Amino acid sequence: MGRTSLDLLQGTLDVLILKTLSWAPMHGYGVSQWIRQRTDGVLGIEDAALYQALHRLSRKGFVEAEWGLSDNNRKAKYYQLTKEGRRQLRAETSTWRLYAEAIFKVLETA
Amino acid sequence: MTHIPGLRRYFRLPRLSGGRVKEDVDSELQFHLEMRTRELAASGMTPEAARKEALRQFGDLDYTKRYCRDLDERQDAHERREAWLDALRQDTRYAWRQLGRSPGFTTVAVLTLALGIGANTAIFTAVDGVLLRPLPYAEADRLVALWQHNRAEGGKRDDVSPANFLDWRSRSRTFENIAAAEPFGFDYMGPEGPETFRVWLVSDGFFRIMRTPALVGRTFADEEYTAGREQVVVLGYGLWQRRFGGDSSVVGRTLVLDGQPRTVVGVMPPEFNFPTDFAEPKEMWAPRVFNERERQIRGGAYLTVAGRLGPGSTLEHARTEMSSIASELSAEYPATNTDIGALVVPLHEQMVGHVRPALLVLLGAVAFVLLIACANVANLLLARASHREQEFAVRAALGAGRGRVVRQLITESLILALLGAAAGVLLAHWGVQGIRALSPPNLPRVDELAIDGRVLGFALGISFLTALLFGMAPALRAARPDLHEGLKAGGRSATGSGRKRLRNLIVISEVALATVLLVGAGLLVRSFESLLRVDRGYRSENVLAINVFTWDRYSTPELRTAFMEESLDRIAALPGVLSAGAASALPLADPYGAEDADVTIEGQAAPPRGQEPSVQLTVVTSEYFKVLDIALKRGRLLTRTDDSRAAPVALINETMARRFWPAEDAVGRKFTVRFMGRPVTREVIGVVADVRRVGLDEPPRPSVYVPHPQSPTGSMAFVVRTNSDPLAMLPAVKESIWSLNKTLPIYSTATLEGLLSESLKERRFNLLLLACFAVTALSLAAVGVYGLMSHATNERTQEIGLRLALGARSADILTLVLRHGALLTLSGVAAGVALAAALTRVLSSMLFGVTSSDLPTFLAVIVTVIAVAGVACYLPARRAVRIDPMVALRTE
Repeated sequence: MGRTSLDLLQGTLDVLILKTLSWAPMHGYGVSQWIRQRTDGVLGIEDAALYQALHRLSRKGFVEAEWGLSDNNRKAKYYQLTKEGRRQLRAETSTWRLYAEAIFKVLETA
Repeated sequence: MTHIPGLRRYFRLPRLSGGRVKEDVDSELQFHLEMRTRELAASGMTPEAARKEALRQFGDLDYTKRYCRDLDERQDAHERREAWLDALRQDTRYAWRQLGRSPGFTTVAVLTLALGIGANTAIFTAVDGVLLRPLPYAEADRLVALWQHNRAEGGKRDDVSPANFLDWRSRSRTFENIAAAEPFGFDYMGPEGPETFRVWLVSDGFFRIMRTPALVGRTFADEEYTAGREQVVVLGYGLWQRRFGGDSSVVGRTLVLDGQPRTVVGVMPPEFNFPTDFAEPKEMWAPRVFNERERQIRGGAYLTVAGRLGPGSTLEHARTEMSSIASELSAEYPATNTDIGALVVPLHEQMVGHVRPALLVLLGAVAFVLLIACANVANLLLARASHREQEFAVRAALGAGRGRVVRQLITESLILALLGAAAGVLLAHWGVQGIRALSPPNLPRVDELAIDGRVLGFALGISFLTALLFGMAPALRAARPDLHEGLKAGGRSATGSGRKRLRNLIVISEVALATVLLVGAGLLVRSFESLLRVDRGYRSENVLAINVFTWDRYSTPELRTAFMEESLDRIAALPGVLSAGAASALPLADPYGAEDADVTIEGQAAPPRGQEPSVQLTVVTSEYFKVLDIALKRGRLLTRTDDSRAAPVALINETMARRFWPAEDAVGRKFTVRFMGRPVTREVIGVVADVRRVGLDEPPRPSVYVPHPQSPTGSMAFVVRTNSDPLAMLPAVKESIWSLNKTLPIYSTATLEGLLSESLKERRFNLLLLACFAVTALSLAAVGVYGLMSHATNERTQEIGLRLALGARSADILTLVLRHGALLTLSGVAAGVALAAALTRVLSSMLFGVTSSDLPTFLAVIVTVIAVAGVACYLPARRAVRIDPMVALRTE
């Protein structure tokens, strides 16, 4: 599970977290695992950065945190999307799509 | 997963408190690390290695902790603020709805508060503007006035002689500088005839002390305070506007003043009016130069002196230094300075000290009005609260905390207070205009009064305070509602006995406070009455007074005498004029025109030097007593033959006769009096009635009247008795004076009635305001009594109905209700009388002819309060009698 050289673009982590949370409320560890599994660990996201992003999103009002019990009956902090978070995710997703399409167009014509 | 997402959001549950944020972040990250460690251990690592790997994978743990904590704390503060504002919005919305639901209550409460807050704001404006605000000069608290005082004459404050002033200035070290000013008049031939400008002649350093630069042009340069260079003037703002239309080009122009050309070098800003408490404001400043002869004058004191304390020196330093300088001078010049000390008074104190007691009394009175207003609103709220018992109980049952209900009620109180303040500021605006219109002439700085930021701040402040005052009791009572009772009784007649006691107490206090104010106002009314009853000794109706200044037009005594007689003859010949005379000082006019003179009585042992009795000396023409209708008691009046060739004579007043010749007839006796520097021995030819000259409240002093031809001063005032409105005759009188000399300036004009009324203005001002407050207080208290009685009667409707049904007569019911009212009123009056007896002593300086414990005043007030409260009780009582027992019982 070595780290790749793929650096995350500014704001990419945020949108990944929002997407992850759009399925269900999750704790930080859950989000970390979820992203690893989806990306096969290609995006070596440092946990430190993940937690910082979670708190940043919470401060911005895109996610809300609440203490709850984890599956193994431990106290854990769960995050869930707010209405604003959902809106943000939609906006970011379409931006990303446009961005990616543009890049692909350039790369494929080459 | 057992948490309910969004629960906190919907029910606004409290967030983490500040200290818990750290714990929160720590345990979140701890959870993560443990989960990761477990995952790694499951894949075959030793627990030790797994923990290390988990930490490595995590990255910078410490930084992340700090970062998250910081964000969370900010988030937390933000949410708390939001929650607070949210609750406030909610409370405000709810309060508005509640107030809107009972418009009658809201209107009465707001108007009551508006009266209280408005009156307080208006009086505060006056107190602030007159007493509190610094004078409009830079570092005005360093400015002082300096006076001579004569220990032999009981420390009377006096002007300063030139030689003393110069010695004070050269010897003192505690002052940055001191300067002298002398009132003066410049004749000026204007487009509307000759007039006299009031001038301050000021010594060098004056403008530097005041630290006020000219608005236009400049003030005087140092060399302009030397002989030959002093032909310059600085204009006052008022004169500049009035006479020169505010035209800046007047600077540099030359005006002919007193026959001499003088160049205008500057104009002072409008607020520069130093000194204002001495006679009328001056309109012009000119340099004062002391010549060699004047520098030696130590006996004649006529300079007003002001100084600025030097850096580092205090008022105490200045006082110590000045008293030692005064002692040195006493030792060096025993002939003139034996008993002369030096007084140092802060300039602000000098200007406003004399009005402070009255203003503070008014401020106290108006605070009482506000207290009563608060009491009324508190009672209204308590009455309302008893109807809202059910509402509070329901809210409490639904889980509203005690704090939340209190907070809700305080929000309602605040909204009421703020509405009251808004209406009150409007009232205060009119009130301040009233104060300015009514203000006595000696209320300094009154023209500057205006409602500004400071005053608005004050209004806001007292409205918060009042909200607390009137809102606290109802809120606290609501905070411990009896849930069970409130719900069970269906919100009706569930008033506890505690609340009743509180409401009774509030009404008793209202009555007491109103009683105190009425006693105060009553004492002032009685003082005013006794003042008007004072035997003034002259008749003031239809008398015109015109000040003229003839020194420089008629330079010899003979010319002045001739002018006076000739002009009096011409004026007396005018149709509509009954008689005309003249005097050097008029009753109740500018006290500075009155001359004090020392007398020695022939045939009586001469008192030690410096302790000669002093009398008021007035120069009069022979017609004066007839014009003013001053009664002759013994001997004869003056005639025109008592002139410079005849033997020196004088008339004296009764006080003087009693004082110096208590056992014998004064007529024919002789005394020596010094006037215009010359001692003359005069024979008493008659005794006239005492005339109140300084003020109606000042007991008459020994007075001497000398005939003008024998002491032909050039500063005289014509008095003209007319058969109708004296002011209508003014143009004709002026014309006849000018027909003799068309350049003679008329210094000022007035009527004796006007002077009389002016002299009473300060008392009238205090009286009107205090009476106004007292009437407001009584009305509010009556409303309070009425409100309480109505409410109490309503609550007892069924009981009364039952009594009636059981055969009680109307009279019994009336007694039942009135007994309660009488108990309240009498308790209030008793408390009020006791309080008044203790408090009215502060009024003693404002009283005349009555003591502060004047029995008739107290009795009248007691009767008035009982009568008014009686009406306020009777109306609800009569309603109670008319209760239909069937209806009352059916509503059960």
